[in-house]
Amino acid sequence: MRRYLRIISLLLGLGLLLYWAAPSQSKPAALDAIKKRGYLLWGSDAEGGAPYIFPDPKDPSKLIGFEVDIADLIARELGVTAKQSQNAWDSLVPGLQRGDYDIAMNGIEITPQREQEVLFSMPYYIYTEQLVVRKENTVIQTMDDLKGKKVGTLSGTVAQDILTKLGGVDVRIYPGQVQPYEDLAIGRIDAVLLDLPIAAYYGKPNPKLKYAGTPMGEGFYAIAVRKGDADLRKAINEILAKLLKSGELKKIYEKWDLWNEAQEKLYKNIKDSSGYSGLEESKKAPVYTFFPMLLKGAGLTIFISATAMALAITLGLFLTVVRLYSRAPFSNIATAYIEVYRGTPLLIQLYILYYGLPNIGISLSPFVAAFLGLGMNYAAYEAELYRAGISAIPKGQMEAALSLGMTQRMALQRVVLPQAFRIALPGVTNDFIALFKDSSLVSIIAMVELTKTYTILAASTLRFFELGLVVALLYFAMSYPLSLFARSLEEKLKGKRR
Amino acid sequence: MIAVRDLHKAFGEQQLFRGINLKINKGEVVVCIGPSGSGKSTFLRCINGLEYFGKGEILVDSLELHSIKRVRPDKHDLEAIRRIRLKVGMVFQQFNLFPHMTVLENIIEAPMRVLNVSKEAASEQAISLLRRINLESKVSSYPDQLSGGEQQRVAIARALAMKPEAMLFDEPTSSLDPEMVGEVLAVIKGLVNEGMTTIIATHEMGFAREVADRVVVFDKGEIVEIGTPEEIFANPKAERTKTFLSRVLKI
Repeated sequence: MRRYLRIISLLLGLGLLLYWAAPSQSKPAALDAIKKRGYLLWGSDAEGGAPYIFPDPKDPSKLIGFEVDIADLIARELGVTAKQSQNAWDSLVPGLQRGDYDIAMNGIEITPQREQEVLFSMPYYIYTEQLVVRKENTVIQTMDDLKGKKVGTLSGTVAQDILTKLGGVDVRIYPGQVQPYEDLAIGRIDAVLLDLPIAAYYGKPNPKLKYAGTPMGEGFYAIAVRKGDADLRKAINEILAKLLKSGELKKIYEKWDLWNEAQEKLYKNIKDSSGYSGLEESKKAPVYTFFPMLLKGAGLTIFISATAMALAITLGLFLTVVRLYSRAPFSNIATAYIEVYRGTPLLIQLYILYYGLPNIGISLSPFVAAFLGLGMNYAAYEAELYRAGISAIPKGQMEAALSLGMTQRMALQRVVLPQAFRIALPGVTNDFIALFKDSSLVSIIAMVELTKTYTILAASTLRFFELGLVVALLYFAMSYPLSLFARSLEEKLKGKRR
Repeated sequence: MIAVRDLHKAFGEQQLFRGINLKINKGEVVVCIGPSGSGKSTFLRCINGLEYFGKGEILVDSLELHSIKRVRPDKHDLEAIRRIRLKVGMVFQQFNLFPHMTVLENIIEAPMRVLNVSKEAASEQAISLLRRINLESKVSSYPDQLSGGEQQRVAIARALAMKPEAMLFDEPTSSLDPEMVGEVLAVIKGLVNEGMTTIIATHEMGFAREVADRVVVFDKGEIVEIGTPEEIFANPKAERTKTFLSRVLKI
């Protein structure tokens, strides 16, 4: 029975993978489908998405933003209503291809490599990249000044490519638009390079920050539709042209304080310029060209896991001893620690450590936050393992040690803990494997370990499938030896005379 | 050498001792007998501080131990308990050898850690103790490689390695197979003959009769009767002693 279940789940998993990897079918009459359905589904990411799309501060159940306004206008022209479909920004294009929504519009830059994946409408906005630094900074004026500096940007953006191409820049990749500016303000990084609308909304209002240099690197935001939906693109292009001529689009930009001279070029309706060459090569490159980056991420994964586990083992031991052998307030605190850390998600703990503590003036580096977050969380589990080990040791062991004149501390150290640790050991190695995989969670705090390396590479090359398999294999290649080690340790302990 | 005065002890609501008094002289051998649950084991465990007690005094030479609080015993009490334990060795029913240490390590651990004896000196002493109990060949065995009788003999050697002035034996043969009882009793007998002050709780009536200077009969947390082996076994006065003896001697 169990074997059947396993085979079934394996097939299901394989099926899902294939489904995801398969090229999406083009529906002949996308436009008709939308009109029949009565609403237009548009994919975007409202998380930290101002001024594009974000929850209205006055009524968080409502989404606002200049793209919300544009979507509403397009839907109006199509004779339907607009309905937002939430997805992580760097997964918007895969989501579109999968058929989750009709269009993707969320500051998606036209790049040659994305043009291979989707059809783009005519541009609806011309963005520039804006460098933001702290007020007191006078050193960073142009892009050339960024060498050797820590510069934050968003995952999967054109800004990220620009920074990477520049070389010599310590690029810090963030998952959302709020965090890079907060980290800049508290001095974790030296500058942030992002699209002007983002800088205008998140960077400019911060009294500690200022623009550095002039906007650069013009590019286009356009609406993405699936390859087969040419009819939908044609309709959208007509609508955009109409909105431009009528001035309704300009009105939206003025409302959101995004209008500038660069937008005049929209009227020329050209798509020739920009000369921007994306990661075209990497799109076609064989998978092994990504290995150096993936291996670097894997190295960081191992390093974080090992250091965090060392912390978990020692802190866990301390917690157990305090819980079991110290007096009232301390033992209660240890118990509370264990319950709280086991009872709340690791993800929340990491967020609080990294993004929350700066609110009260404590700013941890990404590595320290990852080390503490994972280590302190797993310490709670280790503590419970040790406690189980200790309670498995007969009471007579402690009594015999005490009757020989040992102090309680000595008896613990020499008699009880060595035996308890042997009992706990298989569980501890098991936890190490679990921690090893949980280390992927630290990608949310700007640590580019293996999982983050994967999402960055996959988002920019759209090769989620092959790279995903490679990364899964890498994880397995690292965790399987650990399992083997745990098993042999167990065998050894079983065989060893006690 | 050891005096117990007005000892009170309760397990939660259950009152066991309501004022026990006993004096043991230097070199004396006292054997405690009585039904299971009569309190003889608890009595021994109180003497070296393995049980908390509510009221009373334990005196070992000049060391005094008053009531030990169950929660947060104070530093002074804990120190007194430790000093008493250094003078009084204890052997348990379940041997309680340390399973992760060899026979030698079991014996030298406490002298090295507690008395700061060098490893060489401690090992030398351990080997001579093992020679006395005929277990020299088991020096590097682990406890689970030994028979029960061998384990208990090692446990005795381990206690003796701390050079105690008195020994407590808490039913030392109760968990042994019958054929191993003799070898353990022989070791205890040897010790007693050397003049070690000894308190033994046991169900071995023959042995009690043979080695005891005085026999103490426990029942329901009370000392029912104290006397020489002849007085207790040949001519018991208390009714409860008679009932107990008739029950055990019949078997």
